[in-house]
Amino acid sequence: MKFSVFQVSRKGGRQLNEDRMGYSYTRSSCILLLADGMGGHPEGEVAAQLALQAMSALYQKQANPEIADIPAFLTSAVMAAHRQIIQYAIEKGMLDTPRTTVVAAIVQNGTASWAHCGDSRFYMVRKAQLVVRTRDHSYLEQPPKGHSPARLAAHQNRNILFTCLGSPAKPVFDMAGPVPLQQGDKILLCSDGLWGTLSDDEIVHEIGQGVVGQTVPDMVEMALQRAGATSDNVTAIALEWETPDDFESTKGDHQTGQMHDGVYASTVQSGGLDSGEDDLDDAAIERSIAEINEAIRRSAARRR
Amino acid sequence: MSKVKPAALPPDTVIGGYRIIRKVAAGGFGVVYLALDSEGQQVAVKEYLPASLASRSAGELAPQVPSEKLSLYRLGLKSFFEEGRALAQISHPSVVSVMNFFRENETVYMVMNYLEGAALQDFIITARDQKQQKVFRESTIRSLFDEILRGLRIVHQHKMLHLDIKPANIFITDDNKSVLIDFGAAREVLSKEGNFIRPMYTPGFAAPEMYRRDSSMGPWTDIYAIGACMYACMQGYPPNEAPQRLEKDRIATALTRLRGVYSDNLIEVVEWCMALDPLSRPQSVFALQKELSREGERRYTKLSVAEKVRLQFDTMVTDTKKNSKALASSVVKPK
Repeated sequence: MKFSVFQVSRKGGRQLNEDRMGYSYTRSSCILLLADGMGGHPEGEVAAQLALQAMSALYQKQANPEIADIPAFLTSAVMAAHRQIIQYAIEKGMLDTPRTTVVAAIVQNGTASWAHCGDSRFYMVRKAQLVVRTRDHSYLEQPPKGHSPARLAAHQNRNILFTCLGSPAKPVFDMAGPVPLQQGDKILLCSDGLWGTLSDDEIVHEIGQGVVGQTVPDMVEMALQRAGATSDNVTAIALEWETPDDFESTKGDHQTGQMHDGVYASTVQSGGLDSGEDDLDDAAIERSIAEINEAIRRSAARRR
Repeated sequence: MSKVKPAALPPDTVIGGYRIIRKVAAGGFGVVYLALDSEGQQVAVKEYLPASLASRSAGELAPQVPSEKLSLYRLGLKSFFEEGRALAQISHPSVVSVMNFFRENETVYMVMNYLEGAALQDFIITARDQKQQKVFRESTIRSLFDEILRGLRIVHQHKMLHLDIKPANIFITDDNKSVLIDFGAAREVLSKEGNFIRPMYTPGFAAPEMYRRDSSMGPWTDIYAIGACMYACMQGYPPNEAPQRLEKDRIATALTRLRGVYSDNLIEVVEWCMALDPLSRPQSVFALQKELSREGERRYTKLSVAEKVRLQFDTMVTDTKKNSKALASSVVKPK
């Protein structure tokens, strides 16, 4: 199996980046994950992190080295993530539960399958054309049937979701696939920080332009700059499917053929829920250098 | 992504009061130079310059970082600071020491003491090419690892793990001291931050839990690597990598061959350190040091005739396999 992946998460004008992303792979299977913790409820970043950890842990357990039943896996992974968040809220005695969206895609046997809950999206792009994308679980994208136009108009806010992980109501989620992949196909998972600023046409055009290692960071930068100071956090992870004998390779390639059974690689972090500050600014760099030099002086003094 | 490596600073460039003599190494994170300080003392200067995120043309000082890579560049800078912070807290002759840390040319530099000598790796290769029964003498192995373990114990006391101990990262100085180098992988155990962890390990020396990257890493993870280094000093070759061992473990057989050559105690210690189950290894450097320094006469249990025959047979089987593989590949790629 050969593919390239690029992932990036950038903080917009928000105080916290509640987006989380990651991917894990074995010799013949790969999962991409992205979660966007929800504002308006406590600890969205915890919900997003818990969702990724739960799903990645289950993947690690079941991908030996492939997932035997993908729909069954996706269902149990989404539900495991949901239960973990609820459990966390119970253990901490929280009055309101943390919530998150999630989107996951599995690539194996030359096909892609995916599931999502909320408004984090999955796009599949072939030769700069959109093959398919998910429909958000918002009233805007899936208007309730039988409502009057006036009531529907009240639902035109894209931010209002009717389901997510972590809410007391059982999550609603959609699954699709397996869709066979062709050489050069790209799949993209992104948070609303990307699609809220760039149109579908722009996203498809951008990602169709070149290798994911270049198009993804460019596209995220474009969204951040256009949204300006009030930009939402922008997170995207994309995979390009390559055939094994494709000689022109891109950086960040993964060739899984030489991996042994039982070997597993992951970018999803376990534990450590604190994400720390997002970027180091100049003052933080100066502070770090001063701290290190102070520690050097103390150690040198001890030596004497 | 830039495919061209950023250019190293030319000799005689002065940075932060240090004059560069030459480039000595380049890795994923940056470039290491031999330089002279204002008093003419030799130092090693490590420059943060990740080849995948920054570029620099020959003759320029400041690296260029495209705006879309700036946040990753700064994330990498955090790891560079972590290494600096880790080393700054430790003052031990068996751990490379950092002397200064400064910012210039829009990047950062770490000044370390310059070590003259060679990596343990080079010594192993030289020794094994002499084709003697022993790669290193037992007393050499014991005193070398006694020093390294003293240093590693201090590292662990600071709640840090090295996570990339291997013969290439153990430096033997010309005045015969062993020093643990390259803490690029060192992370504080208690505060994991940053948006991604790259799966990073050296096959043969990485414990099985490194491949999983779960929370079961601890001092025993570095201890596995220590065991693997000792093994390499005895066999002349690194041990099989952990995933392979999980399938079919040949370590015990390989160590049996060394019976009579090395003492039972040393062989047992290596086996103990390299247990696949983290809980079956020495749980702290102290526990390992205690076992290694145990007084008393060394016992050597020679192989019995039956055991020798069995090993001989095993070698024949492995050799046949190797030969047929070599043959197969020569058919595929005729030269």
